[in-house]
Amino acid sequence: MIVVVGVSHRTAPLDVREALAFPKEDLPGILKRLREELHAEEVMILSTCNRVELYGRVTEPAAVEEASQRFAASRGRTREELAGALYHLTGDEAVRHAFRVAASLDSMVIGEPQILGQVKEAYHIAEGAGTLGSMLNALRNRSLASAKRARTETGIGHNAVSVSYVAVELARKIFGEMKDRKVLLVGAGKMSELAAKHLVRQGALATVLGGRRFARAEELAAALGGRAMPFESLRDELARADIAISGTGAPGVVIHREDVVAACQARHRRPLFLIDIAVPRDVDSSVRDLEGVFLYDLDDLKAVADANLRERRKQAAAAEALVEREVREFLDWQRSLDVVPLLQEVRRRAEEIRKGELEKARHRLGPLTPEQEAALEAATTAMVNKLLHPSMVQIKEVSKNGHAPEHIGLIRKLLGL
Amino acid sequence: MSAQTYLALALAFYAVGALHVLLHALTRRQLLTSWTVAASLAGFVLHTAGLSQRWTEAGHFPAIGLHDGASFLAWAIVLAFLMVYVRTREEVLGLAVYPAVFLLVLVANLAAPATNRPEPILRSLFLPFHTTLAFFGYALLFVAAAMSVLYLIKERELKRRSPHAFYYLGPSLERCDTISAGSASIGFGFLTLAILTGVLFNHAVHGRYWSWDAKGWSALLAWGIYVALLVARYRTGWGGRRAALAGIAGFAAVVVTFVSITLSAR
Repeated sequence: MIVVVGVSHRTAPLDVREALAFPKEDLPGILKRLREELHAEEVMILSTCNRVELYGRVTEPAAVEEASQRFAASRGRTREELAGALYHLTGDEAVRHAFRVAASLDSMVIGEPQILGQVKEAYHIAEGAGTLGSMLNALRNRSLASAKRARTETGIGHNAVSVSYVAVELARKIFGEMKDRKVLLVGAGKMSELAAKHLVRQGALATVLGGRRFARAEELAAALGGRAMPFESLRDELARADIAISGTGAPGVVIHREDVVAACQARHRRPLFLIDIAVPRDVDSSVRDLEGVFLYDLDDLKAVADANLRERRKQAAAAEALVEREVREFLDWQRSLDVVPLLQEVRRRAEEIRKGELEKARHRLGPLTPEQEAALEAATTAMVNKLLHPSMVQIKEVSKNGHAPEHIGLIRKLLGL
Repeated sequence: MSAQTYLALALAFYAVGALHVLLHALTRRQLLTSWTVAASLAGFVLHTAGLSQRWTEAGHFPAIGLHDGASFLAWAIVLAFLMVYVRTREEVLGLAVYPAVFLLVLVANLAAPATNRPEPILRSLFLPFHTTLAFFGYALLFVAAAMSVLYLIKERELKRRSPHAFYYLGPSLERCDTISAGSASIGFGFLTLAILTGVLFNHAVHGRYWSWDAKGWSALLAWGIYVALLVARYRTGWGGRRAALAGIAGFAAVVVTFVSITLSAR
């Protein structure tokens, strides 16, 4: 049975999660120790800044309680201290949880892409520590595959939810392809640099306007593979640019209405996308009503990010349905494993009877030619197979509806095993 | 099967396509699926068979009157859409095309086919040429206007900094502009040829080159608007919002032309 014990952003505040988080280098040792202590067959720990979870495969359901205590103790806490924060899931629920976590449906930001890598790494570490067995390995393969499907087949990963990516997304909504688009950076802040990097990576050409600290502008221009220009050329550069990102630390307005009006006249009403990420703001906000000018400040970018997140939540319903189908498939497969020993036993028993009866018959028949020997062998094998086939199929079917344990007992009785 | 049966079957398939595209727009998933495209192709095949049957039944090229006009226009729009879609792969056009085609075919199904009148106008060889050119022109200009409307909606959302449905649908602003310009240019070419053949057609039937009626005026107005739009676009790099508005105005004149032709032929 698969169990999950842990805390996540849903149940515990950051300081609790921090205290519980496992350093990567300690994990192999902790995994081995936990497996010993819990008498678990397999264990894996997923430790990210939003969740710390222990995944295990145990034989006794009572082991879950034990696991909670050991888990808390391994970070120097008692189970009582973590009451309310610590959740434990078993069986189908644990499997469903593992799938939803991998698909980023349980993430703080739905559809965030990092979790997939983190889950992969967690399994990898457990594999390295030798605490990963066939069941968790199967869980890994199926849950990661379904997470990838959810990403490609639904929109949970679409639409930017961070400010710098929203800026890039907006640029693409206006201009389409970024290749050979001209990006103008006014001032060299951290955030404008990040947004410009995304744009340049997609083929845009950068120009950095520098003021008093021109060396800084030249440095940034070099990093972006673009050129640096003095601040005085603002109007000319604005007329050439498609996208302008302003993020100076200046106290007042840096890009005035007249600058933008002059630039617009020179550009035949081609769209101009102005991104003002400075606080206080750099761009005169009245340029907003100029034709073809799209001005976004920091709050606007945040508002778009929020709208995108709402959009992702809508898409999450489709992803949930997809993941649920994969969970059911996995559970079916898992249940079918319960009957595997029974199927093997039935086969073994039938083969024993066949061999025994064949032996007796041989004594009575006396010496046989190789052809007769082969015919006898083939006839008895076919007879056994044909008799067994319907019941084998039915046993496999029975396992899928989740009542395998009760049925297995009955089947054993009927077959005299 | 009779032409009417074909048309009713085509309507059923177009209805499936239109419903599908609208439902998908609400859930903001992929707009066109293979089902939508298959339904429209099946509708188109039946529609084509219906038109050919109708040509035989009517004894003249079926493009006169509300029944034939609406049906043939819808057919031309589907064809124009499929061609633009193959070139651009922009699904969002389906949002305008499918409902429009459905409504036109619905009108065609409801309107009684014009009865045979032994007029010389119907037997003229100019009729198939002139109407085909004109209807392809209308269809492409419809596509151009749809892209212009999309441009205006998207521009408005981007300018107001409030992402709504259309923020998540369709291509970038520039691409809307480019597709609109491309369709308008080709549509304008068809429109010009349609007017030229119309002049010759008019002379052959009525003995005069131009009729100064609603149809003549609105066709000339539409043509003038598109000339101005395209000259401004290609000479000065004009585009964006004003080009979109001009494209919509031009198409409004085209609609008046179409309506006055269909109604006058009753």
